Amino acid sequence: MTTPVATGVARGTYAAVDVEERTDTSEQGSTALLSAPDIPWNLVVWNDPVNLMSYVSFVFQSYFGYSEAKANKLMLEVHRKGRSIVAHGAKEQVEQHAVAMHGYGLWATVEKASSAGTGKGGARG
Amino acid sequence: MAKAFKYGLKGITGHLEPAERELLRGLIDDVVSMLEPREAADQDPLAALVGLDLDVQAPTDRALLRLLPNVMKDDDAGSLEFRQLTERSLRESKIGALRAAAMGLDRKELTLTQDEARLWSMALNDIRLVLAERLDIRDEADADHVHAMQDWSQAEDVESYLALVYNFTTWLQESLVQSMMASMDRRT
Repeated sequence: MTTPVATGVARGTYAAVDVEERTDTSEQGSTALLSAPDIPWNLVVWNDPVNLMSYVSFVFQSYFGYSEAKANKLMLEVHRKGRSIVAHGAKEQVEQHAVAMHGYGLWATVEKASSAGTGKGGARG
Repeated sequence: MAKAFKYGLKGITGHLEPAERELLRGLIDDVVSMLEPREAADQDPLAALVGLDLDVQAPTDRALLRLLPNVMKDDDAGSLEFRQLTERSLRESKIGALRAAAMGLDRKELTLTQDEARLWSMALNDIRLVLAERLDIRDEADADHVHAMQDWSQAEDVESYLALVYNFTTWLQESLVQSMMASMDRRT
């Protein structure tokens, strides 16, 4: 991902994210559902040098309804580790998310939860 | 000169000069023409109606493949099967966002609703993805190299021109996303 160099727009929006680990109560329900251990598929979002960090965070907030803190945390994980599991669910459900991500221009794939290599557990935070 | 998008009393507003609007229209037309599905003469009308495309293959053009990526990393057959079911409607939704942005460019005042802003951000993102492929941006170092091109007097060949256009659309999208974020904050 990238941040524009000479635009002068606020970059501080995501600067404070690392230390921010607050739990947003508004998403408790969906998180509990998505974190259930018997659900077998992951939605993975991959890093690329084009998508704006702010845009990726915006997509995570507006599409999944994640808090700003959680969206930024996942976005930074994509940026630093190259990929992040941003949602879990039944296969049809994560496939639907993948198409939505492709609609937004994010590079997303689905995979069986058991085949997850790196980046695992990122979405549980 | 274009003005960055901002969020204020009138909502999300921006300002683009006629030449900048013309530039964006051209870019939108280019991406739309890449995305428009070819209509085969022997196409099954029922399959088309429900969005199926059984003849579809993964795009060979890198830019198009980036817009319409495989859904599975190491499963080409599974990805192709999924593509048959979904690619047509994905193309159509992307074209829809691009056309919505083009219609916005025809208006004198560039004032966007939240939903229009979302469609604009998707359209600008797809434009940037295509430009980035043409500019061969493969990693962060390539991106930094392109970002360094900020002076229009440097536009001396196609590549430097494309880099400047890429940076302009990046700047525009970033200000739009910041405005959308501000508008989301205000509503909650």
